[in-house]
Amino acid sequence: MSPAKSRVRQFFFPSLTPKFLLRVGAVGLSAYLIFGHLCIPFRIQGISMEPTYGDGGFNFCWRLPTLFSRPERFDVVAVRLAGTRVMLLKRIVALEGERIEFRDGRLLIDGKKIEEPYVRYPSQWNLPPRQVEKDNVYVVGDNRNMPMETHHFGQTSMKRIIGVPLW
Amino acid sequence: MVTIKHILLALLIVIAGIWAAFYFFESDERKVKKQFVKLSEGVSKESAESPIAMAQKVKSIGSLISESCEIKIPFDSFSGRNTPGEVSAYAARGRSYFATLDLKFYDLTISFPEKGAADVTLTARLTGKLAAGEHVEETRELRCVLKKTEKKWLFTELEVVEVLKK
Repeated sequence: MSPAKSRVRQFFFPSLTPKFLLRVGAVGLSAYLIFGHLCIPFRIQGISMEPTYGDGGFNFCWRLPTLFSRPERFDVVAVRLAGTRVMLLKRIVALEGERIEFRDGRLLIDGKKIEEPYVRYPSQWNLPPRQVEKDNVYVVGDNRNMPMETHHFGQTSMKRIIGVPLW
Repeated sequence: MVTIKHILLALLIVIAGIWAAFYFFESDERKVKKQFVKLSEGVSKESAESPIAMAQKVKSIGSLISESCEIKIPFDSFSGRNTPGEVSAYAARGRSYFATLDLKFYDLTISFPEKGAADVTLTARLTGKLAAGEHVEETRELRCVLKKTEKKWLFTELEVVEVLKK
């Protein structure tokens, strides 16, 4: 057999040597750590973050930024439920201690109107003012075109913020 | 001399032993997980479900519930103590609004704070199509307590965790 053919054969049907098994183990472990804990792949289901993130889109939940720093206003974040198999993708609009309110579809923080360039065609949302509790942030989806009653939003614990979308 | 044949035979015996251990000596954790699988099957609905299949499924939901099951849903009148019959009736009514329904559970974390009691947190995802054609999708974190009654794990508490508080 020619050396080229031998290399092809070795690539597709490798000999099960200890070195090869060790390599396979290392690749498997790295993939588990990276894609299971650090950069979790996910598919977007639902329209609550439209137009920024559309239904059916694919992304990764990048965990390092939230491990080493606190997320800021307007950051898009992943909120965990019981685990990381299903997460909510939302945007932080208010931080702890701030008073949030929606008036005629406009976001108000501490009584001041906030510009939200990512929102298109907002509905007339009206939500009385409320204070964001300690160690909480207030998250909302970008799609304000849908009725407020059917949009899942509100304040959540910082502990539930587990990462940001990679793009 | 130990041959490949011997090694394969030993491997086969070990696999059969592990399978038998799982089959005959089911752990409490597996039994609790099975109850969630049954609940998911009971709630889920395929299009053109026959009335007999519907009745069986609704009955199976009731068989998973203890004599008094406390249901806690934030800001919902459905909260309170319910009997298996009441839960079955609610389930039948809820299912009737849908043409298709699919309930799936993710990220189950099971702990046993005391003997005969299991505390489970999980994510529940309900997707379906209303009879009118509208698509419905709900995702919630749940906390459930199951208690062992006459060798059966039955739901005694079901709480919807408020992850986002308006």
